[in-house]
Amino acid sequence: MINEQASTIGTPLQEDSLVKANSSRLHPILPDEPAIKIRPESAPVSTNLHDVWAHRELLYFLIWRDLKVRYKQAILGVAWMILQPLMMALVFAVFMGKLAHVPSDGVPYAVFAYAGLLPWLFFSNSVASGSHSVAGNSYVIAKTYFPLLVLPITVVGVRLVDFLIAFSVLVGLMVYYGIHVTWNILVLPVFIAEITLLALAISIWFSALHARYRDVGAVLPVLLQLWMFLSPIIYSVNLVPQNWRLLYSLNPVSGIIEGFRASLFGLKFNWTSFCISVVITLATLVYAVYDFCRKQDTLVDVI
Amino acid sequence: MRPIIEVRNLSKCYSFDKRVMAHLNLREAIVKAFKSPVERLSGRMAVRDMKFWALQDISFEVEQGEVLGIVGRNGAGKSTLLKILSRIVKPTIGEVDIYGRAGSLLEIGTGFHPELTGSENVFLNGTIIGMKREEIKNKFDEIVAFAGVEQFLDVPIKYYSSGMYLRLAFAVAAHLEPDILILDEVMAVGDAAFQQKCQMKMKEISSEGRTVIFVSHDLMSVKNLCSRALLIESGKLQKMGDVESVISTYLLNISRGAVV
Repeated sequence: MINEQASTIGTPLQEDSLVKANSSRLHPILPDEPAIKIRPESAPVSTNLHDVWAHRELLYFLIWRDLKVRYKQAILGVAWMILQPLMMALVFAVFMGKLAHVPSDGVPYAVFAYAGLLPWLFFSNSVASGSHSVAGNSYVIAKTYFPLLVLPITVVGVRLVDFLIAFSVLVGLMVYYGIHVTWNILVLPVFIAEITLLALAISIWFSALHARYRDVGAVLPVLLQLWMFLSPIIYSVNLVPQNWRLLYSLNPVSGIIEGFRASLFGLKFNWTSFCISVVITLATLVYAVYDFCRKQDTLVDVI
Repeated sequence: MRPIIEVRNLSKCYSFDKRVMAHLNLREAIVKAFKSPVERLSGRMAVRDMKFWALQDISFEVEQGEVLGIVGRNGAGKSTLLKILSRIVKPTIGEVDIYGRAGSLLEIGTGFHPELTGSENVFLNGTIIGMKREEIKNKFDEIVAFAGVEQFLDVPIKYYSSGMYLRLAFAVAAHLEPDILILDEVMAVGDAAFQQKCQMKMKEISSEGRTVIFVSHDLMSVKNLCSRALLIESGKLQKMGDVESVISTYLLNISRGAVV
């Protein structure tokens, strides 16, 4: 179809006198290589990542905007970020700790639950809002160019700030219950980094899916609920039968939560599950970024 | 001399194929995965897929410092062309090479947030349209003065009148200074005085040697500002050349109601 058109139109380029008159003006010398190349095929992942880096100021401003707007609108502001994990920890402490006497690795159950809920809520809130990030910004995407990867990254960035705010309560709880930190605490940043990367991976992956299949929005809450119970959030990993452990640790969240608690409460690290979770997290992230870059060019046409 | 923008055989096809339809849901995708081999064999796919060529084989070049106007009827493909040049939409066929920093304003006030104050929105919107933070800082006073909203800088823009809102949005946009500026009807807003201000700004931009591409239905401003024009009809480049002759062809098309 397109070839027929080409022959009838021909090349419409005709140098006319106006252009020549204009070009006589002094202009800076143009570079040899085009600064922007627009091609039908997708750009390689490396170009995309480079582009995200070039837009880091935008990323910063979008995170700043979301935080600012949230804290401006809500009177309780910061308190909300603390209340969600705190209320949940309280509820679980009553039902699981007091009534069901779920063992909690020798740590008071309330602290134990809060230490699990904190990274879990960071993860699940990131994924829940991150998956909407592309579809929810369709009006901006249709009007300005910027690398779309910035959108899910922004969401995770905002949630990371929430996480750090809520973390202060954990410190308070540990002081209150008189839990002493050990040298294990030095490894804690590794687990925070890992849960951040995992949250990024799943958010990026699902944001591309969600933009195309709106059903993802309906499926995701159920999936996250299931995922929570398949992770050692409100119970200890020690409740899982030994011969199921390996299968259980295929869920990268389990290794992270385990490590998170171990570094906080000075428990023994489980290096096997840690290594498995790192491998799975990184593999998921690589796949998600690759998948996103492959899909993003058609996203604008469908959202 | 090398042109600053080279557009070669650009085409854009939107396929209203079931696979990429927006309302496609997971169930349909799964059902289709089973059905498609059968359909492909029986050749029913081709009938169901509707293709729409928004642009067909567009080629042109833009010289440095030129102000190029793009005219054409609604739905002719002007906006699609600008979106491809702005990297928002990918072409289906063809290539574009741009030798410089390009900034596009397909809309003013993109990303403005009603809860944020005027000055906060200046930074936010400035970054979204591609300005560096330093650049915004340096031009901040100028932007605010241009918009004339000095007293309301710390007020959330949800309390702004629509005029103030537009002025602020345009002020930020007007201070974007790329080598190539791509504009889509952004001047079609505001009162006469405001539009005049916009035209002045456009003249200033082009006198600085920047390249401007802009789409407008306002033929007067195309005549006033552009050194060259391009006419798009039904996704095809019908005519390119001096403004007068392109506009007269365009008007002739309209009066004949012809679709070329």
